Order: sequence, then C-alpha cells, then structure tokens
Amino acid sequence: MALRTLQVAPGFMRFMPKEYQDLVENGPFGRQVKLSDVGTFKEILEEHPMCEGCAMAFFIRLALMGLPNPEHTIMVGTAGCGRMALSQAAIPFVYGNYCDTNGVATGLKRGLAIRFPEQDKDVVVMAGDGGIADIGFSQVMHSWFRKEKFTTVMLDNEVYGNTGGQESGMTCRGTMVKMAPRGKQFDKIDMLGLARTAGVAYIARLTPANPSRVVSTIRKAVLVARKIGPSYVQVYTSCNIEYSIPADKVLDDARQVEKERYGYLEIVSEEAGAYLESVAAEGGEGR
Amino acid sequence: MDGAGNQRVVTPEYMFFEAPRTRSYITGSEAANEAVRRANVDIAIAYPITPQSETMQQVGELYGEGYLKDYYRAEDEVGAFSAISGASRTGVRCLTASSGPGLMRGLEVIASWPGHRLPLVFLIMCRAINAPLSIQPDNLELGYMLLTGNIVLHAENQQDFFDYTLAGFVISEKCEVTLPVAVAVDGFFVTHARGWVEMPSAELKLPGRDGYSEAVPMIDNENPPIRIARDAPIQKSNFISYQMHAAWQQEVHAAQERARPWVARYLDELIEVTNPEAETMIVASGSAVSQSREALRRAEEMGTKLGLIKIKSLRPFPREELRQACRNAKHIIVPEFNCAGWLNREVRATLYGCADLHIADGPRVFGGITMPTEMILEWACPGKQGR
Amino acid sequence: MAEMDPCSIGPGPAGLLPPSAASCGVVLPRKGEGLVEGRIVGEQAALEVMARELLTRKHPTVFPGPLVLWDWRDGVSPKAAAVLELAEEIPGVQIIPMPDYRPIYPKIDPEAVINPCHPNLTIWHNKIEVCVFVGVHCHYANITLRMIRAGTNCYTVTLCHSAGHEDSMASLPFCGAEQVRALTGTIRRLKRQGLRPLHGEARGIRLTGAQQAVQEGLVWQHGDGA
Repeated sequence: MALRTLQVAPGFMRFMPKEYQDLVENGPFGRQVKLSDVGTFKEILEEHPMCEGCAMAFFIRLALMGLPNPEHTIMVGTAGCGRMALSQAAIPFVYGNYCDTNGVATGLKRGLAIRFPEQDKDVVVMAGDGGIADIGFSQVMHSWFRKEKFTTVMLDNEVYGNTGGQESGMTCRGTMVKMAPRGKQFDKIDMLGLARTAGVAYIARLTPANPSRVVSTIRKAVLVARKIGPSYVQVYTSCNIEYSIPADKVLDDARQVEKERYGYLEIVSEEAGAYLESVAAEGGEGR
Repeated sequence: MDGAGNQRVVTPEYMFFEAPRTRSYITGSEAANEAVRRANVDIAIAYPITPQSETMQQVGELYGEGYLKDYYRAEDEVGAFSAISGASRTGVRCLTASSGPGLMRGLEVIASWPGHRLPLVFLIMCRAINAPLSIQPDNLELGYMLLTGNIVLHAENQQDFFDYTLAGFVISEKCEVTLPVAVAVDGFFVTHARGWVEMPSAELKLPGRDGYSEAVPMIDNENPPIRIARDAPIQKSNFISYQMHAAWQQEVHAAQERARPWVARYLDELIEVTNPEAETMIVASGSAVSQSREALRRAEEMGTKLGLIKIKSLRPFPREELRQACRNAKHIIVPEFNCAGWLNREVRATLYGCADLHIADGPRVFGGITMPTEMILEWACPGKQGR
Repeated sequence: MAEMDPCSIGPGPAGLLPPSAASCGVVLPRKGEGLVEGRIVGEQAALEVMARELLTRKHPTVFPGPLVLWDWRDGVSPKAAAVLELAEEIPGVQIIPMPDYRPIYPKIDPEAVINPCHPNLTIWHNKIEVCVFVGVHCHYANITLRMIRAGTNCYTVTLCHSAGHEDSMASLPFCGAEQVRALTGTIRRLKRQGLRPLHGEARGIRLTGAQQAVQEGLVWQHGDGA
C-alpha cells in the first residue's frame, strides 16, 4: 500500500533531512487533517520559490490540505507559476508539455484504474488560466465530454504571470496588459458555463479569501471526481506582481474581488450532490 | 470476452526464437494488429488518419475481444499522444499510432516522450506531409523523427511490421533503454498490401510490463520517492540548470546507444547485407528495400552484381555496421521515398572520412508512387539498364 | 582535464560536460561482470577496485537513493541493513541521502541531501573524493554521475540494482543485498591484509553538520535564512 512508501528503511531515519523526518512522523498521510490543525502537522507544501505574498502559493497550500487522500493523489501541472510550488509538494507531480494537462491526466487516471482496480487513485490537474482556457482548452473540454474522472483546478490570475504579464482568455475585458496594448477586447471566457454545458459533475468558483472554504471545496471536487465524474474548480489567485498589489494586501484584494465580481459559486449535479450527502452522512468527509 | 485471459504468457525469447510459426497472407495493418494481440498491451489510444486508421480500428476490435484493458478515440493527435504519455507514466503497456500530418501535429509531444523516459510503442504508417494535400505514401516524417530521441525502426514488409512491433515493446521497457520505440512502415505499399507473415500462435502473449524495473519511478504512489517531480521543471537560467538539462539530454541519447544490443538481438542485427563484396551498394530502409531486391535480381540477369544494405534501425543508427558493410564499395546509391533524402544524409555523415567512395544523391520518389526498379537500375548501373 | 582515451572513465573534472560514456563506446557489464573505468572486468575484480578506492580516498560517502531509503516493499530492509553494514566498514564515512529527485527550491542544504539536479554542490561542499551510489533509479543515477564526472574529482562507485552505469568509475550491475555484502567482505579482507585506510583512525558513521543539528534537537529549519 502507498503508505509503505512513507516508511524509512530501518536504520536510515537519523540520516534523513529534517523535513522528511517531519513528513514521515507528522505528515497528513493516511489521516484527515483540518485547517484548524495547521501548525500541528507537517504540510504537504511548505517551502517554495513563489513570490512574496503570492495568492496562488497560499491557495495551493490550502488546496493540498483539502485532498482526501494525499497518499493516493497525483498532481498534474503545466508551464506557469503554479508548477514551481507543486514540484516542491510531497506528492507526485507530473509536468508534461504545453496544453497537455488534461490529456496526461486522462492517461494517468486510466492507467491507474487498470493497475489498481480496488484502490481509488485521485488525479488533480492544477494549472493556470492560460494552460486551462487558452492553450489547453481543447484537452480540457474533451476530458469533460468524455467524463474523465479527475479534477481540474484553474489557478486564475487573469494573466500570463510566468511569462511576464500577457493577456489571457481569462483577463477581464478592457484590462491593459502586455499583448493587449489597447486593453483586452473581449470578455473573460465563461469556463463555468462551458463546464456546465459539458456535463461536469461538480463546478465551483471561489477566491482564497475564505481558507476553510478552499479546503472543503477541493475535498468535494476530488471526491466527486473519484466516484461520479469530472469536477472543475476555478479560483482567483491574483498575480500581485503584474497587478501591482502590495504583498500584505493580497488577501484584501481577494476579499474585494470576491465581493465585487468573482463571488462564490457552486454548481453540483444531482448525482454529485447525492453522493456528497452520503459521504457527509458517513462521517463528514465531504463537508 | 476475455481474449487475453485465454492466452499463455511466454518469455520474449520463446516468442521470438522458439515458438512454432504458421504462415498467413495478410496486410501490413493486420500484421501490426496480430503483433498487438500477442503483446499483452494494456491501453491503446487512437485518432483516425489515413493510412494508420485501419490498424488502430482493428486494435479497437481487440479491445472489444478483451485483449486490451482500455482503448479510446482521442480528440486529436496531441490529445492522444499526451494521454498515452500519462498512461505510460503509470506503468501500463501502451500503444498509439499515426501518419504524416498527424505525426507532425503531435511532434511536440512525440519529441518529449524520450526526455520523460516513457516506454511505449508508436506505429507510424508513413504518408506525405507537405502541401498540397496528399494521402499518398511518402516517408518524409521519419526525417523529423530522427531528431526526437525516440528509437526508430523501419519495417520493409508485413513480416517486419509484425516482428518489429512485437519486439518494440520489449526493447522499449528494458531498464537501460526506457524509451519509446517508433515502428515505421511505408503506408499503403505495406499497410494495405498483403504479404506472407509467419507468426507464433495467437494463444501466446508477452509478459506484462514491469514498471518497477525501469529507469524512472512509476507515477502510482506505490513506489518511492514520495516526492516525484519526475519531469523536472528546472527553470533557473544558470549554469546548474543548463548542466542538468544537458546531462538529461545526453542520457536520452545514451539510452539509444544501450538499445543497440537489444535491437540486434530481436531484429537479427541492425542491418542485413546482400552481396557484401559488390562494388556498387544500395543502402535502403523500408519498402525501398523490396524494390532494391528486385533491382539486384534484374541486374544479376544483366550480368551485374549489386549489393544491398537494408537498414532496419534508424535510431540507433548502425554506424559501425554500415562502415564495415561498405568497406569494399566504390559506389553507393540510396533510394528513398521522400524528397529530402534523410537517409542519404545519414549515410553520408556515417561514411564521411571512412571510405574512398562515391555516394549518389538519390534516387528518390515522393508524393506517392512506387519507386520503379528501372530507376534504381539507372542510378546503380548507368547506361546498362535493359528495357 | 582532457582524457586521451575517450573510453577511459576516470575521476574528473572532465570538463564543462563530457560526452556520455555510452556515446564513447563504453558498454554495460552483464550479470557476473563489473565495469571499472570503462572496461569490463569480473565481479570480484570490480569489488577489489571499489574497496580500495573507498578506503584510500578522502571523505568517503554513501549516497543511498529512494529505492533503499524507503521501505516500500519486501526485500528493501535486508538491503538497507547491508548498506549500513558496508558504511560501518569504511573509516570516516558519511551517509548523505538522495530521498527524492525533485529540483529543490529555493536552495539545497548540501550537508542534508544530494540531489540529481545539482549533485556537484554536495560533492564540492563536503569535499567528497569517493562515493557509493545505491538504490537510485538509473536515469537519475546516470545524469548525476555525468555531472559529478564533469565538475568534480570524486571517484564514483555504483551498486546498481539493474544494468549498471557507464559513467561510474566502478559499477556493479544487478546488485541485491548479497553483492553489497560482498563489497563489505572485500573491504574487511583488504584491511586484514594490511591496507591502511586513509581515515584509519575514524570509527563509525560520521554525521554531517546538518544531521548532528537534527539529532541534537537544535532549532533547525531546512533552507533557514533563504
């Protein structure tokens, strides 16, 4: 079982780095951790090279706490800022090519289903707005049409942050960013509407302003993907560099954007809702 | 249906060298399909393009009969090749295929498979890629494949297509290789034409893939390390990241070198030589070899002895073998089914400085015709071809 | 340091990045054989060279990889025990793990880990002139070995669970616990026969500064101050 990969061979513990000793003795593997437990367990992601005050890094840290079974979870990412944090997380991370997240996730999920028919293996795509809504759009949509059972999380900073701040399909209309010298000429792509049209079983839009909601949303999305069908979570993770938000004001910005235009939205299919109810009834895992 | 459940697992050695074989008169597409039937493939991902579609739709029927565990039609080649890369990372045996334009569409993904160290078999049923649109045979796309780090085998006929495909899975999954194996064949000439193929019983299959014996960890959360950024996104622009990337690239090519003994073992050497003492040697791969065989026969009738070197493996390329085989040659011609002459360039680069001989810049046909034997003879024995 | 014979794989520094040994014609040993500086030798001959180098070069270090550090399946524990037993026989030895393969950001602690993305940092920092890799997946071992050969003077020994490593100065393929114990046995014999280890006075496995700090419960954070 997977937890065996978290056991240090006899005699070697004293040579292991502190972070690994902590992960082995105090990691969130094989047990449920709660947001209120932060500080009492070793988190899946602690150190990372993201910018000071980065909302995306904060969100990723919270999202990893939401994974129902991190010891059986695989993350998939692509070019963009998010992968720099994800590659430091204490669970497998796959980084392929441009546009390929949802194709790779499809193959991972199906391959794992062949090898481990009795064990749920969760696959979570976590990529930027460019990776999901622009270059990766076709694979995202088709994975939804095929009803592939994995979760897609869009880290929506409304810009190509990692390449230096160019317009993306998720940039708001009128915004002046690089490659949009006269301001963006069309609206933010309605990925939630597209997800609904494609029959995605669980859809959510949120900001990291409410940490416990991040944790529970991710948990629900992963659980639904495990048993019912594809799930999609779109989260506003501001780029404080490109949008010139002071590091200590990043969460204020998230609250304001949530209040003014992003909101919290959850679209749950009937089947997914019933499943989440049953999980909650069994022990609250889903809520 | 549980086709695979009724099969018996045998070693590759038994499958290739010992199992009794019976002859069937089948198309190249059917030959590849019969190889897949015996290869214990877990998952195949398909996207239609002529002339590849015939094989992959037959593989779909194999899935229906229970020989494969999963199969689907992807949204396009990029989707198919990305998904097969995900599946390969989990340790299951993988198959995909394409032709000319489809291969070009997916080339970014194809060129990343080796660096991700992904064992799989990629069937290429060659087809013209240039504008104007053509569905005719032409193997220009193999010129691009040579740069990708994939192992590339080039089958001459239906028998080769069966044998190389089956061997491809075994070579691909050797620990010291751990690379994708592309098995190419010239479209239509082989895929849609019948030929005799000797095959072991369909009741036999290869052992399944053992991902834990390969050069990289599987992405399954069941093998260490618990933290795997297997496809390391080194993003710092400094000497450390340069060196790591460079060492990684070198490793792909080193792995190709390590494939040599396995290619030699399962394909019976990387080249096949006919009339090694001849002064004029024809160097060819794929179905150009068959036309060259006919040219040898016709030349012999005219009293001229030509030699023939069949290149079976384009990557790894048989450098030393070719030099040895050309040591008596004075004149070399390289018949090819493409306008670029990628094999000609390989031959020139390999023989440069090694022998005192003349290498003709052809002959070539492209865009879809069968190379006339007369054309080979015109180049091989100028002024002597009997009409 | 330019090498006259491209097939001779000795300690570096070999340059910016030397060609891979495989591309220079070095081939892998078969079962029962070993590889010493690019040449195929018998298993015992390889063990002799490994033992001698481990005893006579500065700051010998064992680099256990994930396959032996993590007790992920049956058969790991006996091999891990054999690796520890081997280390105990090498005076002055340290054990620095390679627990994973990710490129570590924002920086590594070279006394805590060795990492395949920049293994030379650990070799340089700890002035390691001979080392043993065991339990590292072959892809990562190969890129690691090539970078060490490029930029350091470290003599690399590999006890490979699979086909072995051309870029290692001394490599043994298909190593289980038995082969690890055979190397331990060879080291013991050489010492009995009078070979004086360079670090002859040292006893037991030496902890690195980072390992000592962890063991003593000092406040220590990986990457502190970064």
